[in-house]
Amino acid sequence: MNIPTAHLLYLSAGLFALGVLGFMVRRNVIVVLMCVELMLNAANLAFLAASRQHALEGKPALQGPIFAIFVITVAAAEAAVGLALIIALYRLKQSAETDAAAEMKG
Amino acid sequence: MSSILFYILALVALLGAAGVILAKSPMGSVISLLGTFFALAVIYLLAGFQFLAAAQILVYAGAILVLFLFVIMLLNLGAMGSRFELSFAPLQGGRARLAGAIAVALALVGLIAAQRTTLAATPATAPDAKAIDGLEGIALELFGRYSLPFQAVSVLLLATMVAVIVLAKRQRAGEHGEEPR
Repeated sequence: MNIPTAHLLYLSAGLFALGVLGFMVRRNVIVVLMCVELMLNAANLAFLAASRQHALEGKPALQGPIFAIFVITVAAAEAAVGLALIIALYRLKQSAETDAAAEMKG
Repeated sequence: MSSILFYILALVALLGAAGVILAKSPMGSVISLLGTFFALAVIYLLAGFQFLAAAQILVYAGAILVLFLFVIMLLNLGAMGSRFELSFAPLQGGRARLAGAIAVALALVGLIAAQRTTLAATPATAPDAKAIDGLEGIALELFGRYSLPFQAVSVLLLATMVAVIVLAKRQRAGEHGEEPR
């Protein structure tokens, strides 16, 4: 694959920006969580692009995949806790929208 | 050939990400996100990360998205109907405009940063057939140099398990009525 590393980073930047946009625009908490997953994936892609660049230059390149594995693990944990919170919120408010939980007037 | 495939997959990933935001129901968002994850997995494969591609499909598509689908079906959020459409106003109002501005600014910063790192000039002749993340190398690093973060992540997963059980446990009616949980 003769792709410059910069193009992988462009894709990562675009995915991250779309994740931020969805995080702030959408009100459904589940979609907000999905946008967080999207941002974590963009970070993973940036890690792997940097690691690939190291591999192309002949340097040790295993840090990128290792950190991507850690990110995937933390993303799984975050999704589990987030979805448990959504279930608790739904039980409390009968709704899964961010505006439903406004007790702190944020 | 694989370069063309990369650009097609990048387009698919970006369209899937846009679909997550624009989908009318959470179910549509999950399907779009699935497309993005699969496109990213194939991009990892093309870039020489075979183990990460497998992990992407197994963990993200196989576990996390199924969890999302499970919760959507459990809470019956799939068909929210007109009430949902009323609350969904993309790029309307000050908050959404601010969000759009921030997202565009972040994308620009990312693009400029990627441009300024003189990586585009290096000859990219990747050893496609050989994986960068061989299992042996990953295992040696993960259980050698990175064994402390590995154990920290294990503790994190245990804590997550306990937290999810506490958060999602159904409150028994009549017993701890006053206890907020």
